[in-house]
Amino acid sequence: MQALLTKDTPVGAVLPEVACQFTLAHFKRSDESTIHTDEEAARKEGLSAPVATGPQVAALIFRQLRASFGAGWIEGGRCELTFRRPVRVDDFCVARGVVTANVDVGGTRRVECDVWIENAAGDKVIVGRASAPVDA
Amino acid sequence: MSEARKRVAADARGRRAQFDEIEVGRVLGEMEWTVTEAMIDTQCALDADYALWYSVDSPWGGRVAPPQISYRPPRWLLSRAYNVRGLFYRWEMENIRPIRPGVPLRVTATVADKYVRNDREFIVFEASATDPDGALVFRTRRTHVLDFVDRNAERAGEGIDSGIKAERI
Repeated sequence: MQALLTKDTPVGAVLPEVACQFTLAHFKRSDESTIHTDEEAARKEGLSAPVATGPQVAALIFRQLRASFGAGWIEGGRCELTFRRPVRVDDFCVARGVVTANVDVGGTRRVECDVWIENAAGDKVIVGRASAPVDA
Repeated sequence: MSEARKRVAADARGRRAQFDEIEVGRVLGEMEWTVTEAMIDTQCALDADYALWYSVDSPWGGRVAPPQISYRPPRWLLSRAYNVRGLFYRWEMENIRPIRPGVPLRVTATVADKYVRNDREFIVFEASATDPDGALVFRTRRTHVLDFVDRNAERAGEGIDSGIKAERI
């Protein structure tokens, strides 16, 4: 798997977008009524409707990081994400990212990025940073 | 007070953990966790995260798991100690070594912090996993908000969903 980011990638380079039109079916597990699948379960928790499972939405970013960093994501990748607001189970989401630094850290070349997920309204529902080693 | 202004007090799996009961520094325990090829298949399907390395072969020799498969074991350890449904707020992860099928990992977790912000109660816990040689495989730090409803609401409601779930991918 060829990494897109290298030691020569400039600050400001844009990461590939990864998008998904979520549906309730994405979050269904066979035998569970959860805040992700069940109207009443969600309402009991004060939510107006079922909400997407955070890790499954965040996975759009992980797919983006795998494509961007290749092996560096699997071995040496770091990510910190903040879930700013619930995502509806039927929302459209797209992961975006931009390179913020390309630095030498203790002899290892590391690329740092801002990453985020926007919903259909353009709201940044998940924001964070990620980094991983790249080929020297 | 409307139902929406109540915080859930209990669900089918028992009484919900309360903020005052959460003990910072508490060891949440440890578990041995071995990823199987079927678990990798499930994780790839859940996330539509398909790659040659996850499904066929990789530079590390054989398949490896998508790193985000590490989400669940630390959450299980939290749920064994505290019935926290809530919502996921913050996820820090470090993928140190590939997660490989058939390799037993020892996962440990500890409550790192708790705090109140914007009238919501948060729990922070940390976890790590080591392979049979004692080498670190992943580290993570998580923050969950105990309730979507603010802490001024009465804790009286009966919930359906629970933080305690079947321990499966």
